[in-house]
Amino acid sequence: MSRPEGPHSNMTYLDHAATSWPKPAPVVDSVARALVELGGNPGRGAHALALSTSRAVFEARRTCSELLGVADSRSLLFQPSCTVACNVMLKGTLRRGDRVVVGSMEHNAVVRPLARLKAEGLKVEIVRADSAGLIDPADVERVVRSGPTRALICQHASNVTGTIQPLGDLADIAHENGAILLVDGAQAAGHLSVDIDSIRPDGYAASGHKGMLGPPGIGLLYLSPELEVAELIQGGTGGGSSASSEMPSHRPDRYEAGSGNTPGMTGLGAAAGLLAEKGDSFREHSSDLMRQLHEGVLDIAGFRVLGPPPEEPRVPLLSIVHKTIEPDRIAFLLDRDYSVAARAGLHCAAWAHESVGSLAGGAVRLSVGWTTQAKDVDRALCALREIVS
Amino acid sequence: MSAVAAERRTYLVLGFATTHQALDAERVLLECGVTAKLIPAPIELGGALCGIALRVPAEKSEEAENCLSRASLPAEATVRMEDY
Repeated sequence: MSRPEGPHSNMTYLDHAATSWPKPAPVVDSVARALVELGGNPGRGAHALALSTSRAVFEARRTCSELLGVADSRSLLFQPSCTVACNVMLKGTLRRGDRVVVGSMEHNAVVRPLARLKAEGLKVEIVRADSAGLIDPADVERVVRSGPTRALICQHASNVTGTIQPLGDLADIAHENGAILLVDGAQAAGHLSVDIDSIRPDGYAASGHKGMLGPPGIGLLYLSPELEVAELIQGGTGGGSSASSEMPSHRPDRYEAGSGNTPGMTGLGAAAGLLAEKGDSFREHSSDLMRQLHEGVLDIAGFRVLGPPPEEPRVPLLSIVHKTIEPDRIAFLLDRDYSVAARAGLHCAAWAHESVGSLAGGAVRLSVGWTTQAKDVDRALCALREIVS
Repeated sequence: MSAVAAERRTYLVLGFATTHQALDAERVLLECGVTAKLIPAPIELGGALCGIALRVPAEKSEEAENCLSRASLPAEATVRMEDY
């Protein structure tokens, strides 16, 4: 696909882990259609325009549910972002005195809500990842069994190392020990074929604009039907409960107070439809590019790659550290001299960098996506060679 | 005027807890071959003052309710009403 015309059309964009760009045409069209044609407020009113908008949101939720293996679409909630979804999942579930077990690779979307809850009396046990960023289920089981555990909390994939965590094993451990499994899937949804029905989490938060290829400002939260979760926001829901001062107990309304982001929701629905059709080919394409990128970086003297070795699966991102040149300098030079977009620093995940030994200076993260081509990877590798030579 | 009133059709109006369920019911009824119309929830449904409801022709009531029951989507409340 050719990039859209604009000031950045010649850029080599390797920051898909931050957000996907450009967006697929069906997503752009859906967002535009929502703004132009679907001007009603979904769930508010029964006039023709409101109903058309409501139906579009309803279908978007169903399409996203089908893609993610959610049997009852009422359990899949639209949220303003994955971070908000993580906050609802954690703060709506955990209480003072509860004990939770969490992996050490978590993003601040989980770390910071947990810090707030810890200050209010939550007991937090951290299971350290290995040098590749992998959480060992045996370590988790040992800690979970060492005391009554309300929740096991783990990301699906790391935004620093790309490591894919063993969620199936973790679900078994949690459920066999009377705990719930809460998952931050920000870097997994779309990049991996996520099947909620198989993973069996009790809560799963997803970003809409990264691997899912949707617009910014939209995320998803799956809550298992059996899980009681307090809503964080109270307000209008538009449904048949306006006479009550209390929030309705029904999903999705309970967790979607306030007028929703219709362009975001329908745009994400369009993206989910595209992924249902082409997701496998996108993932195969990204996997090929990652192999090229990973092996190419290892051929350049002085670089260390964080995370799993090339032969092991990962989501399509690669964080690298040079032995002498700081990550921020490398990212600056990539951008200024080569028009290569990469992200340096700690990636909002100090815990993860600490786990894999890169907390002091962070790393440069390169991440590919559905529009990245082999020549883009070649261009980035050539630039890296020149920068460190 | 009385002639018009005599021609008014009777409908079964079905109320749901959420817009999502009402839209799901509309979809399910369509698959069952029952034409349903989304309308502002009438006050007669009780409490549902700003929601939406579905109405089906009275002669399709049983078919509609059976269809929704099979889909585990029963209405929260129903009321028989004439057209406005």
